[in-house]
Amino acid sequence: MRPELEAVAQEIEKVIAGKREAIEKLLTALLAGGHVLLDDVPGVGKTTLAAALGRAVGLSCRRIQFTPDVLPSDIVGFSMYDRERGDFTYRPGMLHGANLVLGDEINRASSKTQSALLEAMEEGQVTVDGNTYPLADPFLVVATQNSVGAAGTQLLPYAQMDRFLMRLRLGYPDFAAQMAMLRARQNAQPMEQVACVLRLEALRAMQQEARAVTAREPILDYITRLAMASREHPALQIGISPRGALFLDRAAKARACLEGRDYVTGTDVQAVFCDVCAHRVLLSEEAQAAGTGTEQVLRGLLKTVQSPDRHSPLGGILKK
Amino acid sequence: MSGRRAGYAAWLLLAAILYFFENSAGTRIILACSAVLPLVPAIRRGFFAPARKAARQAAVLPAVSAREEDAPGDVRPYQPGDPPGRVHWKLSAKRDTLLVRQPIPETVPAPGERALSPAAKSKGDAPRGLALWGAGVPLLCALLLFTLPQANQGARALCNRLFAASEAVNAYAYDRLPGADERMIPAAAALLAIAGIALAAVTVLSRSRLLPLGVMAACTAFQAYFGLALPGWISVPLYAALALLAARNPRARQSLLQAGAAVLAVAALILLLWPGVDPATESASERLRDWLSPTAQGAAGALPEAPESQTEVRRAHVRSLLEGDQAARPLQEYRLAAREEQQVSKPHWIDYLRIVLLLLLAVAVVILPFLPFLALNARRKRALENRRAFQSADVNAAVCAIFQQVAAQLEIMGYGDGGLPYRAWGQSLCPGLPRDYAQRFDACAALFEQAAYGAHPLAEPQRRQALDLLEETRQLLWNRADLQHRLRLALAHGLEGLCE
Repeated sequence: MRPELEAVAQEIEKVIAGKREAIEKLLTALLAGGHVLLDDVPGVGKTTLAAALGRAVGLSCRRIQFTPDVLPSDIVGFSMYDRERGDFTYRPGMLHGANLVLGDEINRASSKTQSALLEAMEEGQVTVDGNTYPLADPFLVVATQNSVGAAGTQLLPYAQMDRFLMRLRLGYPDFAAQMAMLRARQNAQPMEQVACVLRLEALRAMQQEARAVTAREPILDYITRLAMASREHPALQIGISPRGALFLDRAAKARACLEGRDYVTGTDVQAVFCDVCAHRVLLSEEAQAAGTGTEQVLRGLLKTVQSPDRHSPLGGILKK
Repeated sequence: MSGRRAGYAAWLLLAAILYFFENSAGTRIILACSAVLPLVPAIRRGFFAPARKAARQAAVLPAVSAREEDAPGDVRPYQPGDPPGRVHWKLSAKRDTLLVRQPIPETVPAPGERALSPAAKSKGDAPRGLALWGAGVPLLCALLLFTLPQANQGARALCNRLFAASEAVNAYAYDRLPGADERMIPAAAALLAIAGIALAAVTVLSRSRLLPLGVMAACTAFQAYFGLALPGWISVPLYAALALLAARNPRARQSLLQAGAAVLAVAALILLLWPGVDPATESASERLRDWLSPTAQGAAGALPEAPESQTEVRRAHVRSLLEGDQAARPLQEYRLAAREEQQVSKPHWIDYLRIVLLLLLAVAVVILPFLPFLALNARRKRALENRRAFQSADVNAAVCAIFQQVAAQLEIMGYGDGGLPYRAWGQSLCPGLPRDYAQRFDACAALFEQAAYGAHPLAEPQRRQALDLLEETRQLLWNRADLQHRLRLALAHGLEGLCE
């Protein structure tokens, strides 16, 4: 892992112990410039993770607590009549000027509010009354949703989940991590100890770098084969979309950059595959009835689709 | 559904043809059973049940299919013990009696599971391999029956016995196959039994319903062609068993009982009321058969006498042989005449088939001993080609080739995990190979990734490093390998290691 990002990860680990993997994935998404959906039960540190990331990278952080009565105009802004000027003036919404927007419990928002946020995520800009306002760069949305106690909420539809680069699950901490957390909270507020260790400019440069990472023909071939295999998989009703394949490429590049390489390897693709694709595919009814999990199917795909190391058309594959 | 009905109609037609050509009590029972059995409700439900796919969809999506089930055909009156969830409330309200939806037969064994994991997939593939084997065994038996003279004779004798046991009264059906040598009947019977058992096993294991139907059709066609009707006590159980296999739904005891009762009733009725041969049908079929096959007439001895000219030629030939006159012309003419006679008595294509089979056999016998050497040489050539790539001017390509050679050698010895990228192999090497070797392997795997996916060209030292690893791997594995693995390692290396 690159030293500057290693420092960021260590800062975040001050507040969230034992979640190294999730932190690495979050940083990958940050490098790729993609948005993240944290989907888990309440109280495992979704919000804390996002807030710590904001502090460690020095992003201007804003938090929207979604409730059914949050309106689209609250987040994208609205125009208001100014009597003195006799004109409408634009009042910016929550998204403006924020690098990191933490959308808490996005599934509690009404669907039109959700779609306003998702539009902003997709375009990186908002349009109100015909005027387009650019959002801050980098712009990262970390939305959380918990599927427990979801009565009366609107879970994101599949079409909208597709916009998120990754869906992460934190899961419960193990014994040691839980102990460490309890110990750390005895007399201090760890969040205040998180220092800003990465400048915004450095982050932008790194994002540029991540975009410039090389993915050579065998890797693209591998991603395509994975996507094709998922579309033909009998346990999947909906396979990986073309956008999913593009996102997979982007995430793999970011992961390579995170590791300090300027080329993507098959390992990179495999490392991000499940998180990038799990929320894009839909299990068939038979598979659901059989109790198969999406992760299980995707891991099976990784096993069955030959890794580019073996399949590589480049470098003269060994004749058996 | 319509396909199944068409198949049933085709079967009825076939049974009718069989009856027409070989009318007897047995064939009559088969025809009558074919016509009557679908009237038994349990069988109709089993055989003309909704197709597999529809049943599965209905099982998965009860809400959607409920609307389709409004068709009155898919409900039946409520019986005590039916689960209340299956009551078709809407239709019940309309008709003012309780109606339940037809339970969907649980014939599909957990459709979701079948194709999920690779393990389950291989399980699903097993019957296919078995079907291949099962198809191969009967084919082999048929080949042996054709080619082995003793078995051939035995089969003929067996056929003649069948003809003798036949209920048919066609005069020309008996002892039609000449040259029967009864001593080898057991061999032929064993071959036929093996083929039959293989077919039955394949049918049961592959759960194919086409196969028994095909066997039924073949049996019927065979009987109709040879003018042979098996005795009722053979043919009725045979067809009943095949039909049971074909119906796929024999698990319901009730439907089995009903079917058995129906068959028995029909058989008893026909044996009582209408036994034996029907003269009118028999004479009609006889006329048709005579009209259809002049060869049969020939076999029955109705062939006209050879023309005067031919007998004259033949006499001339005999004379010339006796007198030692080697005149070419009479001989040639005699041959021509003899060929014409042969053509009348025996169809040509049987000869061609035998020639083709013998040729194939000869080619196989000639090629088989050389196959291992051919394969060995091809592998050696490929290995040498791979080794040439190690010294290629493009260092990236060379490193890729070298590293893949390393991985191939490790795989020969059972190390590594084929599905994973090479970077992930390090852990799986550790228990069997030294730790420092695993570390060097990891470093080299990183080098490989750089060579394969990176944009920068590598330099000579890296090629050296990869070659060193290759040499080390070779030594390491060679010392651990037994004879068989040593041979394979040497082959992968172009047969050079054998000298060590």
